[in-house]
Amino acid sequence: MTDAESSLEFSTSLTSSLLPPPRTRIFKIIVIGDSGVGKTCLTYRFCAGKFPDKTEATIGVDFREKVIEIDGEKIKVQLWDTAGQERFRKSMVQHYYRNVHAVVFVYDVTSAASFRSLPAWIEECRQHALGQEVPRILVGNKCDLRHAAQVSTELAQQFADAHSMPLFETSAKNPHGAEDGSHNHSDHVEAIFMTVAHKLKSQKPLVLSQPAVGNTVTLRRQDEGEEPRANWGCNCWRS
Amino acid sequence: MNLRNSRSVGACSLLNGIEKQDADSRRKRKIAEITQALNTTPVDVAVLRRMAISEGGLLTDEIRCKVWPRLLNIPVESIPEQLEEVQRENNKDYNQVLLDVQRSLRRFPPGMPDEQREGLQEELIDIILRVLHKNPQLHYYQGYHDIVVTFLLVLGECLATALVEKLSTHHLRDFMDPTMDNTKHILNYLMPIIERVNPDVYDFMQQAEVGTIFALSWLITWFGHVLADFRHVVRLYDFFLACHPLMPIYFAAVIVLYREEEVLDCECDMAMLHHLLSQIPQDLPYETLISRAGDLFVQFPPSELAKEATQQHSLESPASTSEDVQSARRRRKEQLRPPQQQQQRNPVEVQRSALAVVQPTARRIMRLAVMGLTVALGAAALAMVNSALEWAPKLDLLFP
Ligand SMILES: Nc1nc2c(ncn2[C@@H]2O[C@H](COP(=O)(O)OP(=O)(O)OP(=O)(O)O)[C@@H](O)[C@H]2O)c(=O)[nH]1
Ligand SMILES: [Mg+2]
Repeated sequence: MTDAESSLEFSTSLTSSLLPPPRTRIFKIIVIGDSGVGKTCLTYRFCAGKFPDKTEATIGVDFREKVIEIDGEKIKVQLWDTAGQERFRKSMVQHYYRNVHAVVFVYDVTSAASFRSLPAWIEECRQHALGQEVPRILVGNKCDLRHAAQVSTELAQQFADAHSMPLFETSAKNPHGAEDGSHNHSDHVEAIFMTVAHKLKSQKPLVLSQPAVGNTVTLRRQDEGEEPRANWGCNCWRS
Repeated sequence: MNLRNSRSVGACSLLNGIEKQDADSRRKRKIAEITQALNTTPVDVAVLRRMAISEGGLLTDEIRCKVWPRLLNIPVESIPEQLEEVQRENNKDYNQVLLDVQRSLRRFPPGMPDEQREGLQEELIDIILRVLHKNPQLHYYQGYHDIVVTFLLVLGECLATALVEKLSTHHLRDFMDPTMDNTKHILNYLMPIIERVNPDVYDFMQQAEVGTIFALSWLITWFGHVLADFRHVVRLYDFFLACHPLMPIYFAAVIVLYREEEVLDCECDMAMLHHLLSQIPQDLPYETLISRAGDLFVQFPPSELAKEATQQHSLESPASTSEDVQSARRRRKEQLRPPQQQQQRNPVEVQRSALAVVQPTARRIMRLAVMGLTVALGAAALAMVNSALEWAPKLDLLFP
């Protein structure tokens, strides 16, 4: 990994977890999708809490980690940020699909092509023999560029429903909400990964409710009293 | 292996002063030798190789402009001064190249004005597309741009285009196949090298099941993607340009071995070890590591590792029953023994046969000091660029 900042961030999280309580649970999440959709930015945003000012093409697989706490239990969330270019998919990253607990599919809302690639990514997962019980989510990134959007929420929602995945629309760059300055302090990116973590912790089968398309749920922070787990069922968040 | 202790530290300032004078005069001597080699007819490529490998490499970008083309056997006179126009729109790789080049800000000197950098980024795109267009058998990979940018920054667009084209059809050829199977095969040389030198590190890595992808970007970008200091990058390029195309994998092994203590102290876990290893320390003792890599190359030449690298391959195949393993292995063997024609364009294969020629002198090579060793492999690498026949007499010149 060349990302100096992320390594800094990582080493602090390593130090803080130097003496973990015996057998800290590890959740291993793989992040996949076309090149340029923002996988590196999303994982960086979650682990370092900000948008990286420079990213580079991911070659092979990068690894980021964050220690989180759910119900008093410390949990390591490991994010495997994979290369998007097709040639890396087949032989290269296969090793890193092993023992994966959850999959995050990412597309770019401003790129119809990245959305059209999703079936190929789903097939990729199938080939790596990931079971149906492994939770999957769909993330539409770059929602801050709404004016340039090419993939409608409706279309994405249909796709997500067809594959029994919750859909999240967000932005790694500006996950705090609309550009119009309306205030929503929660960070969607963080909430998305936290939701996956809650899901994994609860280990209950994925329950999907089907709210009307376009139904926007405002996500509040965990400390504001709402259980993110409860949000698993709503399949669309928008920033 | 304890490379750390081999770095001597100057004890007092007087000594430092003397050392500095020494270094200055060594440098002057080296520049003189390079100039002389360039001015003889024909140009003394063997000397230039030795200079590129030995301490400090080629010293300045000015020298690199003159020597790098020679290391790739490109006659400078033949390089056209006019570059062909580039068709961006109809190029299948344009979008990916653009995306990667736009994100390559870190490869440019920090103080460079935006305007100048943007101009260079445009040139970078053009070089890549031009080479790909002229060689439809080559396929772009993410990381190729990290190599090309190094040539652009050192040589300028014209020279860079010529060198990158040659490099892409030789040293980088395997990475530019339609698939990454050959690249994966080359990565499979890593563990056998580590095993030979330090079985503890090898066992630990095997137990952690760390795999070799942590070294993928090192290999396919010649470390251009992971080293922050451009001076280190060009120093390594001096070395790699003068050597066998597999040298970057030996260098990767040497880095892992250098970090023996850290590796063995790490949690024996795939994620932790992958993370540790993919994070390259920026203060590596490059000169020591370079000569160490040269040593290992001669001690354990690719021909000797080829068999294990192949086995490594089949071990990794996700076959569950022993029967599967057997048939997978058989399949792999078939894949790995390409038809004659294909063999010729595969650098690894070409070199394997070249090394067979080197055997008579091998014993003598073994007895030489590191420098001598690296001369030998410089000569061996020449076989890459020339034909084995042309190259054999040159070895006699080196070791009369
Ligand atoms: N406006 C906007 N740009 C973004 C966002 N996320 C990422 N980007 C930009 O999109 C480009 C690609 O982002 P990366 O995170 O490098 O993409 P990736 O999916 O990791 O790409 P590969 O590593 O090539 O597979 C970069 O130039 C980012 O700055 C976002 O939420 N909004
Ligand atoms: Mg990336």
